[in-house]
Amino acid sequence: MKVDRRQTLRRLGGFMAGAPLMTQQPRQGAPAARLAPVGELVNVPEFEAMAELVLSPDRFTTISGGHRGSFDRMTLRQRLMVYAMDLDLTTQLFGYDMFAPILVGPVGHQRELHADGELATARGASAAKTVMVASRQSSYPIDQIVADSSAPVWYQVYAEGDIGATRDDVAQAVDAGCSVLCVTVGVSSLQTPVRTDWRAVEQLGQAAGVPVVVKGIMSPNDAETALQHGAEGVVVSSHGGLVTGDGALPIDVLPAVADAVNGRVPVLVDGSFRRGTDILKGLALGATAVMLGRPPMWGLAAYGASGVQTVLELLQTDLARNMAMTGRPTIDMIDRELVRIDSR
Amino acid sequence: MGSIEQQWRRGFSRRQALCGLASFLAASPLLHAQRDPYPLGPHRRVLGFDEMRTAFDFEPVFHDNVPLAIYDYTAHGTDSEFTLYRNRDAFDWVELVGGGGVTPAEVDTSTELFGVRMDSPIMLAPTARQRDLHPDGELGMHRAATSAAMTMIVSNVSSFPFPQIAEAADGPLWFQRYATRDLEGNRQVLDMAQDAGCQTVVVTIDQQASYYERDLHDRNLGGAPRRARRRTPQNPPNPYRVGAGRLWYEWTLFDDLRPMIEVPMLAKGILTGEGARKCLEHGVDGIIVSNHGGRSLDYGPSTLEVLEEVVEAVSGRVPVLIDSGFRRGADVLKALALGAVAVCLGRASRWGLGAFGEPGARKVIEIINTELVHAMAAVGRTTIAAIDRSIVRTSFP
Ligand SMILES: Cc1cc2nc3c(=O)[nH]c(=O)nc-3n(C[C@H](O)[C@H](O)[C@H](O)COP(=O)(O)O)c2cc1C
Repeated sequence: MKVDRRQTLRRLGGFMAGAPLMTQQPRQGAPAARLAPVGELVNVPEFEAMAELVLSPDRFTTISGGHRGSFDRMTLRQRLMVYAMDLDLTTQLFGYDMFAPILVGPVGHQRELHADGELATARGASAAKTVMVASRQSSYPIDQIVADSSAPVWYQVYAEGDIGATRDDVAQAVDAGCSVLCVTVGVSSLQTPVRTDWRAVEQLGQAAGVPVVVKGIMSPNDAETALQHGAEGVVVSSHGGLVTGDGALPIDVLPAVADAVNGRVPVLVDGSFRRGTDILKGLALGATAVMLGRPPMWGLAAYGASGVQTVLELLQTDLARNMAMTGRPTIDMIDRELVRIDSR
Repeated sequence: MGSIEQQWRRGFSRRQALCGLASFLAASPLLHAQRDPYPLGPHRRVLGFDEMRTAFDFEPVFHDNVPLAIYDYTAHGTDSEFTLYRNRDAFDWVELVGGGGVTPAEVDTSTELFGVRMDSPIMLAPTARQRDLHPDGELGMHRAATSAAMTMIVSNVSSFPFPQIAEAADGPLWFQRYATRDLEGNRQVLDMAQDAGCQTVVVTIDQQASYYERDLHDRNLGGAPRRARRRTPQNPPNPYRVGAGRLWYEWTLFDDLRPMIEVPMLAKGILTGEGARKCLEHGVDGIIVSNHGGRSLDYGPSTLEVLEEVVEAVSGRVPVLIDSGFRRGADVLKALALGAVAVCLGRASRWGLGAFGEPGARKVIEIINTELVHAMAAVGRTTIAAIDRSIVRTSFP
């Protein structure tokens, strides 16, 4: 169920204004579709509603939705009365101290969402001290994106098509300063499922000269294969909705993948993370960090850089609050005991 | 599902009606948990005092009496309100079974706690600022509790000073405290409450960094704010914009407070067996299993589903009480069967006070106690001591 309390409240306001018995409630008038000032939005799902206001339906469907069911079957077990004044979310990833274990994931063609596209995303992510993964399908050249960033930028490509051309673009991106290469497997740049060409993954990695993470892992086997082909990190991901045959979501398969990887390389995850508690669950189930796909794009579409920044900061704060309340004020204190999964 | 529930369900959307039908089919035919109906299921007109039949009837009346921001302060849960709803859902995971052969007239709900006889295992949870709901405030709530022969726990952030509340009626009072970091600052308040005769002190440990989206909406969307709230606090002690609040709590707090408290000391906000054992190590005399009515940690468990874990960890050494989501006598009975010695009502008591002042508060707690009597009769138990695990079947997810 998608709950947008802002809309509910407005509807309630309209209902009450119309009901004769309830005239003492302030009249709020007909609900106007209004783009709220960014400072008024109180949670990430609200950004989706704002993006819907500014985008054509066709564009909006490319970044709308999500699968929340798995998160709703996971509850948190608190460790009570743990001193949490010194909250610290810093996380090391490929030698870089991240402010929080959250990254902006790769999304192509961002100028279709906002005129400033990836440049606005880069500025927003940097303002929120967040690593951004730039897609090879970006609307702006990678050197401009890197130039507009004060935080590290990763570069993402698909392991399909003309590998020579891809390799050239990777070299250019690494030259521009990209610090990690993210190779997406199992899906094409047109978001259609493809067989993974692991030799291409390996070749791209060897040529890159920077750490390689493989994105699109949905089983322990996938992870093992990726490691055999030189992956220095994996991203558990179903490409934002192309769910696997058995309906499993990344958060569901994460524990098994993390067990199989067993600390050899960092495990990242993406897929319908919308709240701090979601991210906390991802970390507890074995992820080193969480990638966000759609939420920063909602911020971008509706507000440009400040929308991206606000989405990220809301989630950082949300994660920090929930770490404090569950008695895990630092990242290394987050353990699997924290999450209890409903058995039905 | 009784006729009252069916009445209450009228006026729903078709989608909700279908959900209702589905859960009707799925759930126990005897007694069915309900989610807080308002604002999801408005009545078509406001009911009068004599028409009140269940605790749920009071909520829309209260809603219409007060500005939206005041209503939301009582209604809201933290963040997405997942736990707020899970608290109610949990009553569907416990089924009352067996029994019969007893009439309500034979049922006696009296019990004993900390050596004090109580007419009912139902108590009033500490909830803040009751004068916002009705001018009677805590004075009316205490008089209502006294005339219904129930114990009231007075919040640390009451609208009237504790001694004045104590003078308003003769009934027993407990005192709830949010500790301040400056330890000596606690002594004066605790002395004041103990001098005025509080029977116990309840130390609340939860709700360290909650986030109330409804309140923020009320501010942003033009409702009258109860008080101006910012999305982010000023001068947080960390770079993540989390306010200092109560993040300094540690178990040693109980060791520090113990010498200041001559009456039994309870801890409120315990949700794990591990937490309960820590309480015992630190001199706590009683435990309240609570998630602050879904106002503390979002995506935490319902209190009902963790009650047995806490009860087992404590294994009879101190009494275990519970709150969060209790609206009906059957809800109370389910918790007693799972090992609680008493159940506290937060919102239900506020709905009563907010709807009709002192008489409303009295009526709502009497309704729930009468429901408890009927539920006990339905499962064939005449005394609180006779309530045991065998009257429930659980199916927690
Ligand atoms: C409006 C409101 C104010 C509250 N204020 C306090 C308080 O001051 N101190 C406290 O320990 N608990 C407070 N609580 C929590 C209650 O004591 C209790 O844990 C909770 O309301 C039980 O859930 P219920 O409302 O579903 O019955 C408050 C709850 C509400 C709804």
